[in-house]
Amino acid sequence: MTDQLAVQVRDLRMKFGSTQVLHGVSFEVRYGEVFCLLGPNGAGKTTTLEILEGFRPPTGGTVRVLGLDPAAHAARLRERAGMVLQECGFPRQARVGELIDMWRSYYPKPRPLGDLLAVVELDEVRNTQVRKLSGGQRRRLDFALALAGDPDLVFLDEPTTGFDPEARRRCWAAIENLRKLGKTIVLTTHYLDEAERLADRIAILRAGRIELAGTTQEVAALAGLATRISFSTPSALRRGQVPLPQGIDLAVRGPESVCHTGNPGMTMRLLLDWASEHSLGDLYGLAVTAPSLEDTYLQLTGSDQANGDHT
Amino acid sequence: MTRAVRLAARQALLEQRSFWRSAEYALFTFAFPLMILLLIGAANVGSRLPGTDIKNTTVFVPGILAFGVIVAAYVNLGSKMAVLRHDGVLKRLRTTPLPSGAYLGGLLVSTIATAILIAAATGLIGALAFGAVPRPGGLLELAGGLLLGIVCFASLGLAVSSVITSAESAGPVAYATFLPIAIISGVFDPTFSGLPGWLSHLVAVFPVKSLAQILQNAYAVRPFSPWDLANLGLWTVAGASFTAWRFRWHS
Repeated sequence: MTDQLAVQVRDLRMKFGSTQVLHGVSFEVRYGEVFCLLGPNGAGKTTTLEILEGFRPPTGGTVRVLGLDPAAHAARLRERAGMVLQECGFPRQARVGELIDMWRSYYPKPRPLGDLLAVVELDEVRNTQVRKLSGGQRRRLDFALALAGDPDLVFLDEPTTGFDPEARRRCWAAIENLRKLGKTIVLTTHYLDEAERLADRIAILRAGRIELAGTTQEVAALAGLATRISFSTPSALRRGQVPLPQGIDLAVRGPESVCHTGNPGMTMRLLLDWASEHSLGDLYGLAVTAPSLEDTYLQLTGSDQANGDHT
Repeated sequence: MTRAVRLAARQALLEQRSFWRSAEYALFTFAFPLMILLLIGAANVGSRLPGTDIKNTTVFVPGILAFGVIVAAYVNLGSKMAVLRHDGVLKRLRTTPLPSGAYLGGLLVSTIATAILIAAATGLIGALAFGAVPRPGGLLELAGGLLLGIVCFASLGLAVSSVITSAESAGPVAYATFLPIAIISGVFDPTFSGLPGWLSHLVAVFPVKSLAQILQNAYAVRPFSPWDLANLGLWTVAGASFTAWRFRWHS
């Protein structure tokens, strides 16, 4: 391997008719990491994935997946990359184990059947007909089929959309198992908690542009969101017996006092000095909250809740 | 190349296994032509074609051979492809390195196997029940006609699957586009006649009558025209071209 990048996307552009869907998307995925394209519906996540999978030639830009140009070398790519598409059916009569075996026969170096069943936790239904599986079990069977050729890279397009919490939890467990096998995973989702829970790195895609990319914490920091410091309002402050601290934008909201700051260390020092100066003791209920991915996401995707107070 | 052939062979075996797994489906695919063979055949026993000493059953049995071939190749393959496409199975297959030629080749081989089994059952029952056997000199024509018929109707099945928009309508569309033509082609009635002139010309254009006549000629010397062979060839090319043009891996 000449480079350490599983996926390299540079200035990717896509146009359907006169509609520009992707406006110069760039990102990279390193080997062994779980990378998440997060964004609302219609952001261009699936289109991006379809280009990476070699289903669509892009209008512009360069794409390398496992060192290959997907549009030109789709067949070679498919020997080394597993793909879970949204809503893909199974042959009607097939049984679980038999279907996985059939898929294994399509690849030069398949993964053992028992191994695949264990990774996606479908051992107990290996002889069940596919049409009798639940939605969550079907999705894990999707994973097993995508893994049949023991790929280096796995694409997952919205793996848990529409699932109940238990089915999601088991899908997540299966994805964690994939990660443990050392697979590089590229997944799309519009669920924040999914991205936060599974991804090593995240790129937020909105209206065909990458707004931000990095680790969960980096993304939030890059968004320029403030750290939130809060504590229970001391009764002396509430009654106006002590002045507000200097140099801090503190808001007293009834029982809680809150400030947002880009420099939490300095703010904390000022706050504690102020508290001891006015004999307020330890500030009861003191909490420092780093900006969350949710704040970032809501801010970027146009909700006005992001900068506000979220109680 | 050898890998593609091996994959196609494996795919054909898998297709056969899942065909026989769904016992109901397999039973009706076989039972439909065989029931028609026995019921209508029984009504024709003892009759001869007007003005000849050829028994009705001698031309009726090869007609049902043609019917069985069309059910297996056109109806079954066509509706199966429509269902696979509608269910997203074809789309999923596109994510694997399985070459599309190997996949379609496997389906075709499996279809040929099913059609030959139906033809064998039809021929055997036709011989035992009605004493209808091919002419000694007609065996090559019988084998060639069956094979050409299977390939022709398989290509038409693939073509029609591209215009079927839902899994539910796959079977009805396949039957509705062929049963009326089979009836006016005289497949079920050896003495069928009395069509208006324009309609009988039209029927001659479709491949059903051509296949039936080739097979009938293998059983009893009948007016044979090279047109029937050419016609099957033309329909095969038309079906294959339409398939190549319109084939989609997803609905």
